[in-house]
Amino acid sequence: MKRRVVIIGGGSGGAILANNLPLEDFEVTVVDRSPYHYYWPWLLYVAFRGSRRPMKREIRSLLKPGVNFIQSGAQSVDLNNRKVVLENGKTLDYDYLVVATGSRPTYGLIGGHEKAVEKYGDYHSTIENAERVWKTVNSLKQGTFAIVVGGDPYRCPPSPLEGVFLAEEFFRSRGLRDRVKVVFAVPYPRPYPAEPMNEVVEPLLKERGVEYITFFTLDRIEEDRKVAVSMEGEELKYDALVVVPPHVGTDMKISPEDVLTTDRFIQADKFTNNIKGFDDAFVIGDASAVPVAKTGVTAHLQAGVVARRLQGEDARNNGRTNCPFDLGYGLGTFVISDYNNPVVKLPPSRFSHLAKIAFAAAYWDMVRYPELWNPIFEAYFEATEPAKLSKIYV
Amino acid sequence: MAENRIRVDARGIACPGPITELVKAYRNAKNGDIIEVMATDPGFKPDVEAWIKRTGNQLLEFREEGGTYVAVIKVTAKK
Ligand SMILES: Cc1cc2nc3c(=O)[nH]c(=O)nc-3n(C[C@H](O)[C@H](O)[C@H](O)COP(=O)(O)OP(=O)(O)OC[C@H]3O[C@@H](n4cnc5c(N)ncnc54)[C@H](O)[C@@H]3O)c2cc1C
Repeated sequence: MKRRVVIIGGGSGGAILANNLPLEDFEVTVVDRSPYHYYWPWLLYVAFRGSRRPMKREIRSLLKPGVNFIQSGAQSVDLNNRKVVLENGKTLDYDYLVVATGSRPTYGLIGGHEKAVEKYGDYHSTIENAERVWKTVNSLKQGTFAIVVGGDPYRCPPSPLEGVFLAEEFFRSRGLRDRVKVVFAVPYPRPYPAEPMNEVVEPLLKERGVEYITFFTLDRIEEDRKVAVSMEGEELKYDALVVVPPHVGTDMKISPEDVLTTDRFIQADKFTNNIKGFDDAFVIGDASAVPVAKTGVTAHLQAGVVARRLQGEDARNNGRTNCPFDLGYGLGTFVISDYNNPVVKLPPSRFSHLAKIAFAAAYWDMVRYPELWNPIFEAYFEATEPAKLSKIYV
Repeated sequence: MAENRIRVDARGIACPGPITELVKAYRNAKNGDIIEVMATDPGFKPDVEAWIKRTGNQLLEFREEGGTYVAVIKVTAKK
């Protein structure tokens, strides 16, 4: 008898996992509310470069023949009785469940946030909002352009600063840099939260004349006065404002409810991705509350571990991150760490930037043909282990 | 009114750091609330001290218990 695996979410984590499971042993069903899989990192280039390159594909076209796809939202999950209830009225029974529903921006925590997004856009939610940012930066001829981190967590730790670097480059390339001030505000102690990487990026901010404000916990946006106000009453004046929205976890009902954190991320074992208390249910990628960065690479690596565990191997996560970081002007770096090693201080290089772009180009192929790409990734991850790199880049 | 105590367990979290967990709790807190953060990251102490200094909230206690740092913060500076 084939074992039934239900995967909720056909994004980076869910699709890669589905394509990694041998169909002679498993009956695999992917459920997603959207017909499309989005390559979210590209929002950055829609927002700050006006890229029109397609960044979504039909989920069905990305899954191997033989994998079932149901286009419907999942409404609720009953972990004790192994049932998933869909919005289309169907109920699915499973032997194994994998939740891969990602995270979603929330606009209710910050006063005036929704209005600000309608006006200026953001680059963490939808293609339309990213296109609005492109309009915003194109129409600003003078004044202050501010990017503010609205709260944790959000997809991809480097992404707020990537926006800052690309915006700075954009205004300079238009000859507007002496008239447009670029300001970055964050709630934490330094522009990039992890110290070693901050030592790489803070000098770049200084060199390029980007102002930054630390410990700025955004409370509300007063668009009529054009100020962003912190919880202590500090005011940041802007002419255009892009807020990185705080994200929350799943919108599904889950029983038992105590597997959820207060912001609806699902608690799991950080080594195996087993949902707390369940050996037949897993959560991978952004939907999980495990202490790793919310990135596609993380989702990808966790998908690999869960695929191997389902096949009886004792595979375990090592918490590896590998976030490409666009620094503008054709430069890049990577945020590399794992459970045992802090972030490496990897200096800016053209190579890292090219690697990010090459990765984007190969992305669809990686999702569709993991059997071809897995060995390449394994070699790459081995060559770039943080323990090795940290001996080189101190 | 009984004081509201918010416990934040940020043990084992390195990047992006327990301070972001503190900020998350701070967003939902009111003046008068107590936030207690547990962390194992050695960078936590200077970060909390800088946060307190900059935001004007009150650090009631900072202690170390067998490799875990505990910061007890009273929220006082919210406008
Ligand atoms: C600007 C930006 C830059 C980024 N840069 C990078 C980068 O350079 N490198 C990198 O690795 N990562 C990057 N990321 C992060 C990366 O895109 C995400 O971490 C990744 O997509 C997470 O994968 P996931 O499978 O967990 O979630 P997702 O890819 O978001 O997929 C979740 C899926 O679940 C579905 N879903 C949700 N709820 C339900 C439900 N109730 N029922 C049915 N279906 C549901 C959704 O429709 C979606 O298809 C970036 C993100 C942004 C926004």
